[in-house]
Amino acid sequence: MDELRTTRLHAWHLENGANMARFGLYDMPLWYPAGAKAEHLAVIESAGIFDTSHMAVIGLQGEGARGLLQFCFTKDLDRCLGKEKSPLVSGRCVYGVFLQPDGTVIDDAIVYQLGVNDYMVVVNAGMGGIVAEHLGLHKGGASLTIIDYTDKLGKMDIQGPLAGKILKKILRNADDALAGMVYFSCRGGCDGLQTPTAVALLDGSPILVSRTGYTGEFGFELFVAGENFVSLWQMVLAAGEDLGLLPCGLAARDSLRAGAALPLSHQDIGPWLFANNPWQFALPWQEGERVFSKDFLGAAALLAATDGEHTLPFAGFDLRKITVGKDTFVTDLQGDTIGQVLTCATDMAIGRVGGMIVSAATPAAEGRPEDFKPRGLSCGFVKVRKSLAVGELVILTDGKREIKVEIRQDIRPHRSARRPITAML
Amino acid sequence: MKELSELDFPETVRYTEDHEWAAVDGDTVRIGVSDYAQDQLGDIVYVEMPEVGDMFEKGDEFGTLESVKAVSELYLPMAGEVVAVNDALLETPELINQEPYGSWIIEIRPTDPAEYEELMNAEDYVDMLRG
Repeated sequence: MDELRTTRLHAWHLENGANMARFGLYDMPLWYPAGAKAEHLAVIESAGIFDTSHMAVIGLQGEGARGLLQFCFTKDLDRCLGKEKSPLVSGRCVYGVFLQPDGTVIDDAIVYQLGVNDYMVVVNAGMGGIVAEHLGLHKGGASLTIIDYTDKLGKMDIQGPLAGKILKKILRNADDALAGMVYFSCRGGCDGLQTPTAVALLDGSPILVSRTGYTGEFGFELFVAGENFVSLWQMVLAAGEDLGLLPCGLAARDSLRAGAALPLSHQDIGPWLFANNPWQFALPWQEGERVFSKDFLGAAALLAATDGEHTLPFAGFDLRKITVGKDTFVTDLQGDTIGQVLTCATDMAIGRVGGMIVSAATPAAEGRPEDFKPRGLSCGFVKVRKSLAVGELVILTDGKREIKVEIRQDIRPHRSARRPITAML
Repeated sequence: MKELSELDFPETVRYTEDHEWAAVDGDTVRIGVSDYAQDQLGDIVYVEMPEVGDMFEKGDEFGTLESVKAVSELYLPMAGEVVAVNDALLETPELINQEPYGSWIIEIRPTDPAEYEELMNAEDYVDMLRG
């Protein structure tokens, strides 16, 4: 087994009572003394901060960068922004996946355009070298350099409805820095990764701010040079102290993303065909047609795919879950096995009111009872051999425990990720 | 994660390798989980308990603890009949995190009270945890 890697905050995590566990190649906090439930709820109601510097950053610079990404990354960078499907420009970013030629997933990623021939790719823990190598393999004679920034930068995510108010306190010219910042955009820069705008912390050190995240809630991913990372973490904690900000571990990150119906790479997407799943927005489908707007690695395999396995979100009727393992199955109501469980977590901020799922963040006018106390609902993804309609019931079982769950279009309602920034500062 | 020195292992109860504790209370025995177990599991959000009157052998699974991290089975330290379950845990399972030794899960009338003596005392249990 490889030696366990740590982030620059490792000592801080230990000193602050984090319950640690191995994730990917890294020793990471699962939760802090407040507990995963309080951390999950903090992100729904105020804000949370996550050490995500185990994730890897790759830089692509040169005239051939866009062309290489167009070939290797699923999103069509020339037709991807907004309803008009306009081209990716400096200061914007998009979500997609890197596929093998056979249409199976290497990793998912956010691709940022920083400048004219300048791109940044953020992939999962331990994947920097692998994705950089994959890109190198396909670059042919294209003119570009590929730099793996693994463990060079510090990255943290500040997520939740108060994230903007907290970030504002630590940025120089904060109003200008954040004004009009749309979902999936970025500003500033650090360590050679620079957008056209400069953003600095109050102490003058540079920062790259991205309005993205992995919780379904409003917030930012922050990138700084490694040496500025621990001080930024302290700065954010101090700025958020009176606003209910909590440091959050991977358990809350997992339950939040599951409720937001976002996939975990190598668990919900992985070495199988990227087809029949809820994340088709990662592919360059031509509207209303079964063709792609560009050719890319894996495209032919996806187009040739016949009706195979289907990955679908589900939610339970209470908070009981199944520990996912090799003996965990999905059956129909008759007890016949139809597939496997990919993710099963508990979103602690939601509950069922009548036939509806309600969140702690659901406005009263939209169905949240005044005395609503979320008990939590199990949720996640199943991969089954046949297509199931939204509302259909299936059973998750580990051979002993059986949990009835409902196939869903979506899970946690009233998420804040896409709210206009003017309402959040 | 807490250091072992920060966890509480009272000498008034006995322990199992699966991290349950047992405490004699007259002619019945109360069963719960140790401070180590609750610290490892994190927030306990749901407890599944047996019915009063259920009979179990030593080592039988008598319920589950559901934490944010996982679903964990509970195993009975000694054979017996369930005479009470702690209903307070149905509404507030987090009591186990707050007071692991105050929050008994079930109470049994042991088939063989001598089985209690076979369980680990605090010192042996801590030795086991130290590995």
